[in-house]
Amino acid sequence: MRQFILRRLLMMVPTLLGASAVIFFLFALTPGDFVDGNYMLTEARSRELKALYGLDQPVLQRYLTWLGQLLHGDLGFSLQYQIPVTQLLDQYLWHSFLLSLTVLLLYWGLSLAIGISSALRPYSWYDRLVTLAVFAAMSFPVFFLCLLLIKWFAVDLQWLPVGGMQSTGSEATGLARIGEIALHMVLPVLALVMLQSGSLTRYVRASMLEALRLDCVRTARAKGLKERTVILRHALRNALLPLITLLGLELPGLFSGAIITEKLFNWPGVGHIHVDSLAARDYPVLMGFTLFLAVLTIVGNLLADILYAAVDPRVRLR
Amino acid sequence: MRNIVTPSTHHAFSGLTRRLLPAALLGALLSSQLAAAQPIVNGITAATDQAKIPTQSKARKDTVVAAINEPQGVFNPYFFHNGWDENVTDVIFVRLVNLDKQGRPVPELAESWQVSKDGLAYTLKLRKGLTYSDGSPLTAQDVAFTLTVLHDPSYDGETDIGLAHIKGGADYKAGKAASIAGLKVIDAQTIQITTTEPGATTLRLIGGPVLSKAYYGQGYQRGKLDGVRALGGKPLGAGPFVYDKYVPGQEVRFHANARYFRGKPAVGNFIYRITSDATKLQLLQTGETDYDGFAVNPDNIEQLKSLGFANINLYNSSDYSLIEFNHRKPYLKDLKVRQALIYGLDRQKLVDVVYQGYGSVATVPVTPISWAYTTSGINPYKFDPAKARALLDADGWKPGSDGIRVKNGQRLSLTLLATKSLFNDALIPIAKESYKAIGVELKPEVSDFNSLIGKQKAGNYDLATYRTSNLDDPHQGVEEFTSTQSRIKSAYNNPQLDKLVAAANSTLDLNVRKQRYQQLYQQFANDPPVILLAYRKILSASNARVSGFSPNVYNGIIASLPQLKIAQ
Repeated sequence: MRQFILRRLLMMVPTLLGASAVIFFLFALTPGDFVDGNYMLTEARSRELKALYGLDQPVLQRYLTWLGQLLHGDLGFSLQYQIPVTQLLDQYLWHSFLLSLTVLLLYWGLSLAIGISSALRPYSWYDRLVTLAVFAAMSFPVFFLCLLLIKWFAVDLQWLPVGGMQSTGSEATGLARIGEIALHMVLPVLALVMLQSGSLTRYVRASMLEALRLDCVRTARAKGLKERTVILRHALRNALLPLITLLGLELPGLFSGAIITEKLFNWPGVGHIHVDSLAARDYPVLMGFTLFLAVLTIVGNLLADILYAAVDPRVRLR
Repeated sequence: MRNIVTPSTHHAFSGLTRRLLPAALLGALLSSQLAAAQPIVNGITAATDQAKIPTQSKARKDTVVAAINEPQGVFNPYFFHNGWDENVTDVIFVRLVNLDKQGRPVPELAESWQVSKDGLAYTLKLRKGLTYSDGSPLTAQDVAFTLTVLHDPSYDGETDIGLAHIKGGADYKAGKAASIAGLKVIDAQTIQITTTEPGATTLRLIGGPVLSKAYYGQGYQRGKLDGVRALGGKPLGAGPFVYDKYVPGQEVRFHANARYFRGKPAVGNFIYRITSDATKLQLLQTGETDYDGFAVNPDNIEQLKSLGFANINLYNSSDYSLIEFNHRKPYLKDLKVRQALIYGLDRQKLVDVVYQGYGSVATVPVTPISWAYTTSGINPYKFDPAKARALLDADGWKPGSDGIRVKNGQRLSLTLLATKSLFNDALIPIAKESYKAIGVELKPEVSDFNSLIGKQKAGNYDLATYRTSNLDDPHQGVEEFTSTQSRIKSAYNNPQLDKLVAAANSTLDLNVRKQRYQQLYQQFANDPPVILLAYRKILSASNARVSGFSPNVYNGIIASLPQLKIAQ
């Protein structure tokens, strides 16, 4: 097991190197650079600035410079925000993480509960109603759902704030601050849970239906085990196996930010930083953040593999 | 570069607005048919029902909340890369020379200025007793320091001081001199700045906000701006409000400056709250903001009116949209083709669809509110497809079998570079249709703004469309068409226009300049370097509990801030 993890960690190095090269050249070869965004510049000033930023150098050399910095643990300095990339991400990343983690816990919990319970009574009224509700929720366009929630709960009823993460000018600290943030989180969390639980519920339901048809479940029932034990110990464990891979893939999503929802609710998340830095060609931010997500994707996969082996003794890691 | 709180700049397009646009356009098209609402006029349309003022806003006894789109935390007037940060620095810093609502220079920190007869030497006199918000004195030394920083070889901000041609500036930048020869501090209140070329925009460049040498200049050496840059998050100025705190992605907070040279503002606290296009109306409606900008259309105006408690402000913008010709293409160098492309484009239809009564067809490269604006004797190129066809016929462009004109084997099929925007969603189909009717094929290429400029610089295109930034001086609208100053190598070359641009920029006398711009605009229309498309208006609204907002395009709400009062 330890050998497997070590080997996989070592394999990450060439994978990441390849990913970084692909990302860098993709961004660098997109027409237009950071200086071009200001069309008012004279040609002379534009040349001066490109020289200052090193944008006049060949792409390969720029890549090697960037890679050299990276190996020293330096993600670089944002061109437009003028602070280190790590500091910039630190300002926004945790807000996205807080929102995404809350949503993740809620929608996994909800999907598991609904998916399993509807699989136990397939094609019943309950199952049909749940299926309908779930499909209705996930087929809303994001911005329509968000605006509708804002209209109902923030404008008409005035129960909840329109957006943001704190009240304007708020000096709240401690518990009061936590309460304030929680209040601001209700609508974005509700919207995201509604949008995301649909497909997962269907997954759980299908997986559970399949597990209930397994020989081991029939054997368990034949042994005279209580139905509760049959479901939870035998069927559910088998049903969860394919879901582990899905859970592993959620890891980068926890940090990447839900761009549209965050924007609509003025949530100070990292999603719009990513989009802005692409529009402005802020290469250090763009590279740093994309690479960070690449690392998380690889780590997520690794975690999924390890978990898989831990819960399924049939899988042997080599 | 100033952003008036409105979804205006090219930088401001987000993934969200992109997705919302088609629906918004559809709504706009429908409402233009249905809405029989009363149009409003420039100026302030007062609130109708003070009783509707939301309670949430009334709870703020001594704080005004205005909206901002996307500040990035670089609060130094010379170091930001984003117009929203400029809106923040405008609250904290004061310029030496400002602009009035028609774009004419007016004294601010500088009580007066004199220009020598040859137009090369500027003597600026500061008001007496000026201080920064921390009480330290603001002197001519600080002005010299500010201009020196702008000449630093490692300076990478948006201000191009090179355009002021200060004597010895280039030598300092190149390391050939220890200081800038053209900067002479005469006494604590007086500085003389000598330039090598006359220029009407020089005063604006040298008359900007002032950085404290004592605060920003600690440890400054030529080539080392790290110290100045590091203070981007801790600004010190002499403006109406003092910076308190920036909460990234949320808000920027200020309190009134007791040492402001026009007296402490009546409102104790000011907050810029970050809002987005999708929910800014809801935020104003629930009372979370007191002031915000909106896209101009009858729908938004109706909704703002229905709030009852909103004072609605409508004013002209100083930017305009255009289509640039690539003059490197021989067929676009051809004057008759360019003229035909202007006559043949239904610009009025474009303005009607996009601005729905709140915009107009652009005829000269300056805003209608500018002191330099004139249309007398200038060809307006009224939509006339017959004339466009006649011009192309006379020039030897004959319709081919598919209806597209051909001359010497060259098909008149043109690429158009455009960004994704509400405006271009209307422009592209209208232009396609208009041009098809005169035998010209249009092939749009939609990308983001930096890509557009990148492709433009590479030169492989025929037409490119964008909107200018907000322009403070008429010179900024025409300088790029001179052969020496060109920003983009569009290769337009008209020696007569070169001379007229230089002449109009060589004096500060507005009457003389006005005459020269009229001649210049005639020449511009006769040999058009671009197709001017449209002027637009800006819409904003404020909660009636706060009085004193009178925004204009040159100052935004900044000039109003010291006058704001909260009704109790």
